[in-house]
Amino acid sequence: MDKELNIKEIIESIQSSEGENFQYNEAAILAEYKKKDANKSSLAIKILSIFGGFFATQTFLGFLAVMRLFESEVAILTTGIIFIIAAIWLSKTFDKLIFDTLSISTYVTGFVLLGVGLNGLNVEENPLVFIILVVSLLTILVNQTYMLSFIAIITISSCLLAFIILNKSYEFFHLYNISIAYTLAYIILNEAKIITFNKKLSKLYDPIRIGLIFSLLFGLIILVNRKMFEMPTSFIWLSSVLLLIGVMYLVSQIIKRMDITNKKQQVIIYILSVLVLSSTIFAPSILGAILIILLCFFVNYKTGLVIGVTALAYFVSQYYYDLNLTLLVKSIILFSSGILFIVFFLFTNKKHIANEKV
Amino acid sequence: MLKISREDIYTISQNSNWSEVGVRTILNEKIYNSSADWKQFLRLFFISLGVVFSIAGIIFFFAYNWASLHKFVKIGLIEGLVIVATVVALLPKMNTLIKNLALTSAAMLVGVLFAVFGQVYQTGANAYDFFLGWTLFISLWVLVSNFAPLWLIYLTLINTTLILYAEQVAHDWSFIYITLLLFILNTSFLVFFIFLGKKISTITIPNWFTNIIALAAVFVATIGISIGIFGTHEALFWVLLLLTAIVFGLGVLYSLKTKTIFYISIIAFSLIVIISTLLMKLSDEYFMFLFVTLFIVASVTLVIKNLMDLQKKWSNG
Repeated sequence: MDKELNIKEIIESIQSSEGENFQYNEAAILAEYKKKDANKSSLAIKILSIFGGFFATQTFLGFLAVMRLFESEVAILTTGIIFIIAAIWLSKTFDKLIFDTLSISTYVTGFVLLGVGLNGLNVEENPLVFIILVVSLLTILVNQTYMLSFIAIITISSCLLAFIILNKSYEFFHLYNISIAYTLAYIILNEAKIITFNKKLSKLYDPIRIGLIFSLLFGLIILVNRKMFEMPTSFIWLSSVLLLIGVMYLVSQIIKRMDITNKKQQVIIYILSVLVLSSTIFAPSILGAILIILLCFFVNYKTGLVIGVTALAYFVSQYYYDLNLTLLVKSIILFSSGILFIVFFLFTNKKHIANEKV
Repeated sequence: MLKISREDIYTISQNSNWSEVGVRTILNEKIYNSSADWKQFLRLFFISLGVVFSIAGIIFFFAYNWASLHKFVKIGLIEGLVIVATVVALLPKMNTLIKNLALTSAAMLVGVLFAVFGQVYQTGANAYDFFLGWTLFISLWVLVSNFAPLWLIYLTLINTTLILYAEQVAHDWSFIYITLLLFILNTSFLVFFIFLGKKISTITIPNWFTNIIALAAVFVATIGISIGIFGTHEALFWVLLLLTAIVFGLGVLYSLKTKTIFYISIIAFSLIVIISTLLMKLSDEYFMFLFVTLFIVASVTLVIKNLMDLQKKWSNG
């Protein structure tokens, strides 16, 4: 088989560059390939299983409601716990794509029932959220399959956001955004370190990466709609400044990647980046979206890139929509930024053509 | 040159003591974007931002409706911009992307022009004729541009015109009738583009573009039929049902022939939604909820299993 030959070639070439210390388990690698080949997924299949899972969850909850099963708290709570355990067991034991729909719907239903049951037993809001958070954390520790880990990650971040909103401690929003953004940047830029650390982390890498991107987006979306939560704007610049530092660090990495060694050019790039980006000082969400775009393009992660571009479009339009200025001033700002970007384009384009001629 | 994917790196590193430095080097060399990729990305990023921001600026400017600006100046300004954009698109030295972006800007500016015209001369409350005019007058550009984003704007305009016409003028059109029209419209365009891409080898039609049209067509059919199931079964409902059945059947055949799972996936999902709706219509007792849950889980699982088998067959065959 071509694929097998190719793997052997790859291993040989790694062996030659790694030296004698390189040890590998060929049987395990080939077995893994066989399993992956049988479970080859595509975005269409992933989305299908997620949608299927959520639809089934809804109709099942409908069934429970019509059956009046929601009236016994203990029954609901027990069913919830059984469902969560069953979902984890199912996906851990089989770890096959075709079980995804079933395990997603069982898992999410379990969480809903857990929440409803605890609420019915008059558990306070904070401990309730805390219990859900702990259960999601446990899920990741026991189970490293893609779908459940992804759902667990976004459940954890939703719990953190719920804490902030329930207790009206809005200053922590900035802490949330910044720590998620920096963790995401660390994870994406240190791919090699994390996947070679151990097998568990390596398997969790994909779901954590996409889960954190969504978690960051949740935080940024709430920040954009802060009026809805009657959130004070006093510390908004803090998020922006820290995100700006993150983006600037990334700019330095990109300069390295692009082999721009000319000191004068470097200085110009830094100054222009800071100038353009500081115009978004009151819109940290835009900076967050730019961070996602640059990070994902850096490591060639296409799904993340598409999410980032979509988020940028949403945040920029929301920003101008909310801006408390007359349409005339808005139009002047927009038009001049447009011209500025076209100038940037002409500049890079000229460089590009000059390089090609040489 | 050795071909290595991200997946290969993960699998091998999970089952060996491959060093961090080694993995980092190979990721940098084979997976991450190179200097040339970055240059291309930044150029595209800047020009897209530039065009979008400038056009938005122009739209906002005219939306401000500056009272002291004479109507001739207003309309003249936009017409001037339309001419500039079109001239840029005609310059022989420009690269194709810039030409296409210029033409797209011109097409957007025509919309601004009609809006301002309507504002100045109070052309009436019906918005559909505004969209109709906009659609008609950019048709030629869309045809010659052969640029997918502009085509997408064009299709959105046609759909909008039709929906607004139904809302504002044709009050006697039923919901089913409108969905039937939209379904026929989008399906025809989809078929047209698929054949165009096949017949003329110089034109490449991006997958995302045909996928969006297919998604729109399937979405309209699903909504139409699902709502129709609960409504009075007029004759048109059966027409929509029959037509959808034919189109879905052909879609599956085409999907199998071209070895793309996208069409099969969305058609299967649409059928699952339609059948679930039908089941709910039959009974809203508790056992039906449970039955529908089981039906969704079982059918989605079955679809995924078959799709995977197909993928495996295609990749080995």
